Amino acid sequence: MAIEGADIVKAAAFLGAGISMGVGAIGPGVGEGMAAAKACEAIGKNPKEAGLLTRTMLVGQAVSESTGIYSLVIALLLLFVV
Amino acid sequence: MAYDIQTWVNVAAFIGGGMAMGFGAIGAAIGEGFTAASANEAIGRNPKLSGDIFKSMLVGQAIAESASIFALVIAMMLLFTKFPAHTLTPFVLIAAGLCMGFGAIGSGVGSGFPAGAACKGMARQPEVTGRLTTNMLIGSAVCQTPAIFSLVVSFILLFTDFSVRPVSPTWAAILGAGISSGLGAIGSGLGGGLVAEASCDGVARQPLTATPVTNVMLLSQAVTQTTAIYALLVSFILMFKSFPPTDLLAPPMALLASGLCMGIGAIGPAIGEGFAGRSAVAWIARNQKHIADLTRLMLVGQAVAESTGIYSLVIALVLIFVV
Amino acid sequence: MEDLGKIHQLIIPFFGHDITLNVEVIVMTWIVFFSLLCFGFFATKKKSRLPGPLQVVGELFVEHLYDLTEDALGKELSKTYAPLICALFMFLLLSNWLGIIPHLEEPTKDLNTPLSLGLMGFFIAHYAGIKAKGLKTYLKDYCEPMFIMAPLNIIGELAKVISISFRLFGNIMGGAIIILVVSHLTYSIITPPFLNAFFGMFVGTIQAFVFTMLTVVYIAVQVN
Repeated sequence: MAIEGADIVKAAAFLGAGISMGVGAIGPGVGEGMAAAKACEAIGKNPKEAGLLTRTMLVGQAVSESTGIYSLVIALLLLFVV
Repeated sequence: MAYDIQTWVNVAAFIGGGMAMGFGAIGAAIGEGFTAASANEAIGRNPKLSGDIFKSMLVGQAIAESASIFALVIAMMLLFTKFPAHTLTPFVLIAAGLCMGFGAIGSGVGSGFPAGAACKGMARQPEVTGRLTTNMLIGSAVCQTPAIFSLVVSFILLFTDFSVRPVSPTWAAILGAGISSGLGAIGSGLGGGLVAEASCDGVARQPLTATPVTNVMLLSQAVTQTTAIYALLVSFILMFKSFPPTDLLAPPMALLASGLCMGIGAIGPAIGEGFAGRSAVAWIARNQKHIADLTRLMLVGQAVAESTGIYSLVIALVLIFVV
Repeated sequence: MEDLGKIHQLIIPFFGHDITLNVEVIVMTWIVFFSLLCFGFFATKKKSRLPGPLQVVGELFVEHLYDLTEDALGKELSKTYAPLICALFMFLLLSNWLGIIPHLEEPTKDLNTPLSLGLMGFFIAHYAGIKAKGLKTYLKDYCEPMFIMAPLNIIGELAKVISISFRLFGNIMGGAIIILVVSHLTYSIITPPFLNAFFGMFVGTIQAFVFTMLTVVYIAVQVN
């Protein structure tokens, strides 16, 4: 099996895309879950503030998502641009 | 190395069997140890109930064990079945071993949590023993679901006839299918266990809220298992789609990467959704009036935490179909 | 054990395309239909204040499932959807339990059954959403919280259908595989009844309940 230079580079790009999105999905998942957990706890203690607490949770989760989106961008770049 | 195919098949069978049982033993041991520790703490607190607590501990440990028993079954089959000697067979055997091995970790640990919480709850509130046992059984059984998915994939891998497929890139599709379902079950098992633990704890503290707590526990566990289901879907596609033969390295690597991507990517969101579900269930037990608000917030939070899992699914599918 | 993946299929040529029917699954589904219709007929034949055993069972199902639907959907909507939820749960329960009877197998073991039920739930939920909110608000909800999230929201909705169907399929198929393997390993002398009871009845009941509850929750989320 004569492995050419361009071919092995492409193979590495695919592998990199997979690892990037795969490992990159761990952090945001755990972090956003913790945010949701504390939000549920806060509503349990203080149900009247449900709207404010929900909005804060969503904003916090969106910020936490940012590294996940970086992983997605790198994965798409590796797949289609490089 | 000029060994014949049958040698490689035997090599792969024994390595696969070793990995299946090796990794598969981790989870159940940790979960059962956690249960035993909680049971001891409970008996120390309330020695008169030691009979009931001991029985609960054994039942809970038995359910946590079932994930490892699946791994044992697969390992036995790998060791003692005569597989047809084809070039793809070594990859099939290793993939099946990896799949069941990794798949048993999460469910084993996860099923230990509700059993421990049930033991501790019984010590605190002896009258709730019946309701607690029911809740623990339901929670642990649903927590085993990701291990069952891994078992299904291992089985289909072992008994599908791959001899009609081209060797490359199917070798990578097989490995990718095994890795995807294997790793994907870790997070879901853990997440489901966290939720079940909180529900047993909540029922012990507020026995009157038992039914809504069980309902929300089941709902939350179902959402936590979603990423394991995405991994199962990717495994099925990798196993059953026919790929054109190729001599390059890139297409097989794409399939292997798709399995890795979905498998590893399923871990985090599931654990995060487990945290959210645990907190929601715990506070529903304390604050039953606002169950609608809490359930809605839990579902919204879990849906957002799921989004990176969906990104992984999309990238995995792109790697299979588009590239 | 080699015939694990073999399904008896009936292929009917129809104007150039082939219609493929999975014979066993269809026959099993008919058995479930017929049993449910008989149960419904006999349970409501004589509605008396001192109920007979069939009527008691029927009242148990109806009361609990109507309560579940009312909790999630509110009183008016639940009048429309509660019968559907009750029928769905009874169908799934009987389907998952059918495997215990020798020579019968669960219709939910084939991917087509859970997938069709999932798609049915999906269309009903979105129809209920459009009817309750109006078409413009329904479409605008896909752009929450930001406009770029729209394709991800759509993928999320499709992912819900896949997750609900594959969960039921995976659980029931897994149970069937385990029972098959264990009876093969013990040379079909012993089919352990404990395993059958656990996977067939216990897991089957839980998964039927989870499927039904998730359908109710999806309808409730769409109607808000």
